[in-house]
Amino acid sequence: MARYILKRLWHTVYVAVGISLISFFFIHLSGDPVLLMLPPDASKEEVETLREQLGFNDPLAVQYLRFAGHALRGDLGVSLVHRVPALDLIFERLPASLELAGAAMLFALAVAVPLGILAAVRRGSLLDLGSMLAALFGLSMPHFWLGIMLVLLFSVHLGWFPTSGRGSFAQLVLPALALGLSLLAMFARLTRSVMLEVLGQDYVRTARAKGLRERLVIGKHALKNALIPLVTVAGMQFGFLIGGTVIIETVFAWPGVGRLVVQAIFSRDYPLVQAAVLVLAVLFVLINLLVDLLYVLLDPQISYGGGS
Amino acid sequence: MRKTAIILAVLWAAALAVQPAAAKDPDTLVVVQEAEPVGLDIMQSSIQTTMSVGYNLHDTILKPQEDATVKPGLVEKWEKLNDLTWKFTLVKGATFHNGEPIDAAAVKFSFERLMGDALKSPHRGKLNLFKGVEVIDERTFTMSTSEPYAPGLYMLAQYLFIVPPKYVQQVGDAEYNLKPVGCGPYRLERWVKGQEVVMTAYEKYYGPKPAYKRLIFRGVPEEASRIAALLTGEADVVSGIPMHQRPKILASGKAYLTDQMGSMNYLGLNTYEKPFNDVRVRQAVNHGVNRELINQALFQGKAILCRGPISPRTFGADPTLKPYPYDPEKAKKLLAEAGYPNGFEARLAYGTYMPQIQEQAEAIAADLGKIGIRVKLEPYERAVMWERYKNRQHQMFIYFWDDAPEPDRYMYSLFHSKSRDYYYKNETVDRLLEKGRTTLDPAERAKVYHQIDRFLYEDAPWVYLYVIPEVYAVSNAVEYKGLRDGYLIMSTARPRK
Repeated sequence: MARYILKRLWHTVYVAVGISLISFFFIHLSGDPVLLMLPPDASKEEVETLREQLGFNDPLAVQYLRFAGHALRGDLGVSLVHRVPALDLIFERLPASLELAGAAMLFALAVAVPLGILAAVRRGSLLDLGSMLAALFGLSMPHFWLGIMLVLLFSVHLGWFPTSGRGSFAQLVLPALALGLSLLAMFARLTRSVMLEVLGQDYVRTARAKGLRERLVIGKHALKNALIPLVTVAGMQFGFLIGGTVIIETVFAWPGVGRLVVQAIFSRDYPLVQAAVLVLAVLFVLINLLVDLLYVLLDPQISYGGGS
Repeated sequence: MRKTAIILAVLWAAALAVQPAAAKDPDTLVVVQEAEPVGLDIMQSSIQTTMSVGYNLHDTILKPQEDATVKPGLVEKWEKLNDLTWKFTLVKGATFHNGEPIDAAAVKFSFERLMGDALKSPHRGKLNLFKGVEVIDERTFTMSTSEPYAPGLYMLAQYLFIVPPKYVQQVGDAEYNLKPVGCGPYRLERWVKGQEVVMTAYEKYYGPKPAYKRLIFRGVPEEASRIAALLTGEADVVSGIPMHQRPKILASGKAYLTDQMGSMNYLGLNTYEKPFNDVRVRQAVNHGVNRELINQALFQGKAILCRGPISPRTFGADPTLKPYPYDPEKAKKLLAEAGYPNGFEARLAYGTYMPQIQEQAEAIAADLGKIGIRVKLEPYERAVMWERYKNRQHQMFIYFWDDAPEPDRYMYSLFHSKSRDYYYKNETVDRLLEKGRTTLDPAERAKVYHQIDRFLYEDAPWVYLYVIPEVYAVSNAVEYKGLRDGYLIMSTARPRK
C-alpha cells in the first residue's frame, strides 16, 4: 500500500513537469504581457526597457529553464500585476475555493443520495419521475443564469442573504446553492442508475431472501456497492470545482482561485498562470489518489498491496 | 424525540445564519467597482480600479481640475520662475498617516522613487519631461523641465503621488504595496484580499475632512450583482453601469446616475497601405458611417458625436468644426474618384472586452457595406488586439481613449510619430503637437490645438466616432458627483439631506 502511494506521488512529478511545460509555452505564445502592464501611452523605449528588465528578451527555452530552476526551490515567481509571489496569491485564494467547492459538494451529496435511492427504490413512481425531471432541469440550467436568479430572489426581493462577497456563512449560502444544484442533479441521476443496477444483483436478492429488513438491504448491502462510482465522480468533480467555478465566483464576487487565474490569463500574468496551473494540476492528482484510496475502504476486494 | 430536537436545533441555527447583515453604519460609505485593487501603492499600477482606491489613500501635490487647470493640494502656492522652472511651497504641518512630516525632501524622494528603475512604475513616462526636484528648504522646492511643458502642472497634479520616505525605506516596495501609508483623506485600516479594502478618515488631514468616517471598496465583477448590491443597500456607489441597466436603476427609485469620464471610441485606419493611403477613401469612410443612428440605437442618444480627434469636451477642440455628415452618396463618389467604383474588401478589428462593441462593429460594417466596402469583422481578445495593433497588422480597428481634460495626454500619445507611428505619420502634426505642449499661454495654446483638430479632421486618419459617457450609480442617501478623470475620490461624497 505504502509503495503504491509513493509510486502515485512520484507520478505527480511527471504530471507537474508536463503541465508546466505545456502551460509555459502556450501562455508565452499567446501575447506579450509588457504591452498590457504599461499604460497605453507608454513609449517604445519604456516597453523595451521593461521587457529587458523582466527577462522576456531571452529565448523561451532559457526562460523555461530559469523558471524550472526557481520552481525546484519552491519559487514560482512574482505576479507581474499584483507584484507579490504568485504562490502567496494562490494560497490566499485556495481556502475560499475549497470552502465553496466543499459546501456545494456537501449540499449536493446530502440531497442527491437519498433522492437517488428513493427514485431507484420507487422506480416508475411519481416521485421517481418528478425528481429525475427536476434533476434534468438542474443539469440544464446555466450557472450564470441560476446565480443571478438566486440573487434576485433571495437578496433583492426577500433580503435574506447578501448579494455577494465572502466572510460570513450567509454569504456562502447562495453561491454554494447555485453551484451545488447542478451537482445535485448529476449525483441524483447517477445514484439512481447505479442503485437500480445494484438492486438487481444476486447478493441483494440473497440478502432479501435471508429476511433482512428492506432498510438494511438498501442501506448496507446495496448502497455501499453503489457508492464506488459516486465517489469517483464526486472526486473528479471536486477537483474541477477548485479551479473551475469562475462563473459562480464572478457572479458572487467569491475570491476563489478560478477567477484569479482567468484574470491572470487575460493580463498575460505569466508567473501567476504558471503557478496556478501547476498547483491546480497537483491538487487534482492528489484528489484522485485520495479517491483511489477510498475505494479500499468501500470495497475490501480492492487492494493496492501488489499481492493476490 | 431526540431526532425532532436535532432537527429543531439545525433549523434554528440555519435561521440565525440567514439573518441579513446588520443595517449599515450611516458613517460608512461602500463603493463597489468591477475589480478589487491589484495592490494599494498607487505608484505601482495604472489600472483604473486600483488607482481609484489608491487616490483615496494618497495625495498629489496639486488637485487636477476638469478644465485641465490645477488647484492647491499639498502645495499651497506656486510660481513660474521661468519657462522651464516652477517653485512650489508646501502647506504647513501636513503629515503622513504614520505622523511623518510632509516636507520638500519627501517630494524629492517620491519623484525619484516614481522615476527610478527599481519600482518599474507604469507612470514614469508621464513625468519624464521633468528633470527632478530641487529642495530649497523644508517647505519649498523647485521642479524643472527639459523644455517648456504646458501640461506640466496638470501632469504633476495627476501623477506625482507623495509617499513617506522613512516608512518606504523601512518596509520596501513590496510591503508598501500591501500596507501603504499615504497622506490622503483616508488611511488604510485593513485590506482583506479578495473581499474589501477598509479605510478610516485621517483625522489630521490637512484639507477638508471627508463626511464619511469609514470608506470601504469592494470588487464585484458581474454587473448584475453590482446593481443588486446597490438595490439592496449593500453598496452606496457603483461603477461600471452598462447602458441597458441604466433605466432599471432609475426606475428602482433607490439610486441616481452621475457622470464620470467618457470613453472616446474611434475607428483607426492604416494610412500606410492601400486603400486607406488615399485621403478620399478615408473621408468616404467618415461620410459612410451613420453615427447618429448608432447613437440613437445603442446609446439612447446619450453619446456625444466627435468632430475631430480632440474630444468635444476637451480643451483645444475646434468649436467651428461640424461632425462629418452621414452622406453615402458623397462617400460613393469619393470612392469612385479614388479608383474604387465597386468598393473593396476590408478587415475591421476590435477588442471583445470593450462594452457593446459587437453591436457597434456590426452597425459600422453594415453602413460601410452600403457604400461598397465589404467588411470582415475580426474580434480579438484584449492582449491579441493590442499585439496586432503594435505589429501594424490591423487594417481598420476600433479603439478608444478616455476623453481626458488635457489634450496633450492623448493627442501626443496617439498622433506624434515619436510615440506611435504604427498607422499614421505626418510632419505637420508632429510639429503642431510639439508646439501645443510647449506653448505656455493658454489662449495661444488653444489655437494650436484648433489647428491640429482641423488638420486631422481633413486628413482623416481615423473615422471620428463618439464619446460614450460612462456613469456611476449612487444611492439616493448619498450626494456624490462623478469626476471627469474617472477616479472615485470619495472625500467629496456627503450624506444627502
